[in-house]
Amino acid sequence: MKHSMTGLLVIAAMLAGCGDGAGTPTAGFDGDGPKIFYDRRGTAHKTLDPPRQFDSASADIIMNVYDTLLEYHYLARPYRMAPNLLSELPEKQEDGKTYVFRLRKGIHFHDDACFEGGKGRELVADDAIYSIQRFADANVNIKSWVLLAGYIEGLDDFRDKSRAVGKDIDYAAQPVSGLRKLDSHSFEVEFTRDTPLALFPFAMTSLSIVPREAVEKYGEDFAQHPVGTGPFTIKRFSRRGTMILARNPNYHGTYPAEGAPDDAENGLLAYAGRQTPFLDEVHMPLIEEAQPAMLKFRKAELDWIGINKDDFPNMAYKAEDGSFHLKDEYARLYHSYVEPGLSAEYFSFNLRDSLWRGEKGKALRQAIAWSIDTPAFIELLSNGRGLPMATIVPQTIAGNENDIGFSYYQQDREKARQKLAEAGYPEGRGLPEIHFEYRSATKDARQGFEFIRNELAAVGIRAKANFNTFSAFLKKIESGNFQVASAGWAADYPDGENFYQLLYSPNKTPGPNSSTFNHPEYDALYEQIRSMPNGPERFAIFRRMSEIIKDEVPLLLRFNGLAFGIYQRNVRNLKRHMLVEKAYKYLDKVGSPVL
Amino acid sequence: MGAYVARRLLQMIPIILGVAGLVFVLFTTVGEDPVRVALGQHATPEAIAELRALWGLDQPMWLQFVDFLRQIATFDYGRSFNTGEPLSEMFRQGALVSLSLTVFPYVLGTLTNVSIALLVAYYRGSLFDRFSTAIFVASMSISYLVYIIAFQYLLAYQAGAFPINGYESGWSGIPYLLLPWLIIMVVTAGPDIRIYRTVFLDETRADYVRTAFAKGASEAAVIFRHILKNALIPILTHVVIGIPFLILGAFLMERFFSIPGVGDIMITAIHNGDFPILKGLTVLIAIAYALFNLITDLLYAVVDPRVQLS
Repeated sequence: MKHSMTGLLVIAAMLAGCGDGAGTPTAGFDGDGPKIFYDRRGTAHKTLDPPRQFDSASADIIMNVYDTLLEYHYLARPYRMAPNLLSELPEKQEDGKTYVFRLRKGIHFHDDACFEGGKGRELVADDAIYSIQRFADANVNIKSWVLLAGYIEGLDDFRDKSRAVGKDIDYAAQPVSGLRKLDSHSFEVEFTRDTPLALFPFAMTSLSIVPREAVEKYGEDFAQHPVGTGPFTIKRFSRRGTMILARNPNYHGTYPAEGAPDDAENGLLAYAGRQTPFLDEVHMPLIEEAQPAMLKFRKAELDWIGINKDDFPNMAYKAEDGSFHLKDEYARLYHSYVEPGLSAEYFSFNLRDSLWRGEKGKALRQAIAWSIDTPAFIELLSNGRGLPMATIVPQTIAGNENDIGFSYYQQDREKARQKLAEAGYPEGRGLPEIHFEYRSATKDARQGFEFIRNELAAVGIRAKANFNTFSAFLKKIESGNFQVASAGWAADYPDGENFYQLLYSPNKTPGPNSSTFNHPEYDALYEQIRSMPNGPERFAIFRRMSEIIKDEVPLLLRFNGLAFGIYQRNVRNLKRHMLVEKAYKYLDKVGSPVL
Repeated sequence: MGAYVARRLLQMIPIILGVAGLVFVLFTTVGEDPVRVALGQHATPEAIAELRALWGLDQPMWLQFVDFLRQIATFDYGRSFNTGEPLSEMFRQGALVSLSLTVFPYVLGTLTNVSIALLVAYYRGSLFDRFSTAIFVASMSISYLVYIIAFQYLLAYQAGAFPINGYESGWSGIPYLLLPWLIIMVVTAGPDIRIYRTVFLDETRADYVRTAFAKGASEAAVIFRHILKNALIPILTHVVIGIPFLILGAFLMERFFSIPGVGDIMITAIHNGDFPILKGLTVLIAIAYALFNLITDLLYAVVDPRVQLS
């Protein structure tokens, strides 16, 4: 029996040996050895080929292996752009539509067999032009092309050609009129119009710069052989195990020399000007469930973790002044952060539905807006981790409610009843049951609706929820077969325009204007802000647009969430960035964690 | 025997076709639309059409089904919608990882459970029998998830006796598998021992047992020499039919212990609407199930000479 058990162990080990080689850290802190940062991946990445990337798990890795021409400043708030592969921000030309991009000299790709002699060659302007063309290639990029569609002269035509020619398209033989090489390290981009939004796509991970040699050598498997100029290289590729990133010792980046007002006080400028990255390796085990992730963090086998709704009451609390703190027993062990998200949660009213038509329909929407106590919703169902929204722009983006001085509906049941009567339904009499559509049947969705149902019932409005599958939800939205839909928007880029476009009438379904809101004044104002830089003039228009949204209630603004997380006390420079979620290049570990 | 096996293999063809048809209809008409899941809410009609074409979902249904049958026949299931990985390689790697998780506790658990069941049956009606039956019934009433969460917290986190989770290839991976193995054995103990005990008790009422006692055989001799042998058929059925599911792994275990096996691949595919994975795995499991059913029948003839394969 003893022999047979040993045999079984051997067989099992051999079987395990045939696995994918996924690994998991066994020690959580560093002494004098290499600095290893352990960070959980909650879901497996889908692809490491930048233009094919459309999920955040992939972006988290791509942003550490590849570089973009521009990036978001790590410390500055509100978020703003900074040069990355460029020596300076692109230089706008007199025509207002053309920008000159100058690459920094001496940046090299990672060493890889795709290059002559296996040595990474220097990055040049051709690489940037090639990468932009590849981003537009219909044979490569289906999912994120829309973010650059219509922006660059000739690029849409190039995409059409790529579709017609197929996978064998030769980029050099199909030049793009709006992409012009000036010399080995500079090129110019001619946009289709003068807009302050033109540069944002160049900070997207899906527009990272890739070398032609690697794409051609690895073909279909390029996603498994990333070759970039980023702060880390892939040491171990394991989609469902532990991804290991290793420091690129030749990385060109430096730690920011300036930041937000309190950054120096918080020690976030101690590394100012130093060459990045500081970590030797980053281990990213795939841990899909919350419990093992939290247990590993508490054993210091992970360095950083977000706190979910269930763990929050055990570990942290919201003080009366609205600030968030760890409980004493945890504050001794960990640092914490809180950072507003770049998203908006709202209910979208389908204005094609007869219930919402005319002045009576508007009064009914206003009645609903006066009925709901959003701060109470946040306290009760989100541990208080959210900011009620007065305008559609989240508070970390310029032009938000603080910048324009604006307030929104606060619960007032008396006003709700008045509006209900104006709508022709005094005390709710004669009002049919209103259907709310949700995109899933999660516990959060069900609890959230129960709260809303009770709030509405208090003024005489009856509501019913349909918890749909995602596909069924989309079908209802796109066919206009709904009354109210629970919806949200996460910023593509940190500009108010990205949120105000949600109600621009040409963006109606299947675009983001699910309400099919059509308001000529609003549309005209939106068209103005598209080509204006931030400033008092633009903010005044934001204010007028917010007044229209408040009066017409095509959607009912709710809140934007607050990210709350904790990290080990020996981690340095962690400042939660909602656009660059895994900025490992700035992090460091000093000494051991507190256990 | 050869003719019997050939006939049974031929009979598997309509079964597999039926499963393939059912899987195809279910995943193409009832489930999520993979293109919409991949592109999110505000995808342009152009992007939707392009992705549908890329994934072959713009083809007529019958053509998609024929292609699916070709995949089944050639065991080449193409690539994952979401990751572009070749599925054959993905399944191979995942199956080996799942087997490393399930085979050892399955074998050791079966041996242990049969032994305990025999012991309990031997002491039938005693306080030991009643007490152990109560324990096993209670253990069956507790959810699999509770075992995982409790054992992970108490034995791995609090006691530090095992790693909390993770997976490594080779010998260094054994410590990561010990706790999952223990949980699988504990979870399967209750139901298995109850089944085996019932099988043994049924046999004790058979005529040959009475005859053996009448001939003066000792109780131990009757149990170990006669009852155990005759109880092998239902035990064999239970054990062999469970083998295909070893490949599928224990998906909850794989999720909580970060073991990259087939179960985890399946759950992720369900979340992402990755049809090639779902269709491929479902049909593979159906084929494995039919094959092991055949093996069970063949083994009947081996352990019981009265069984004729004709």
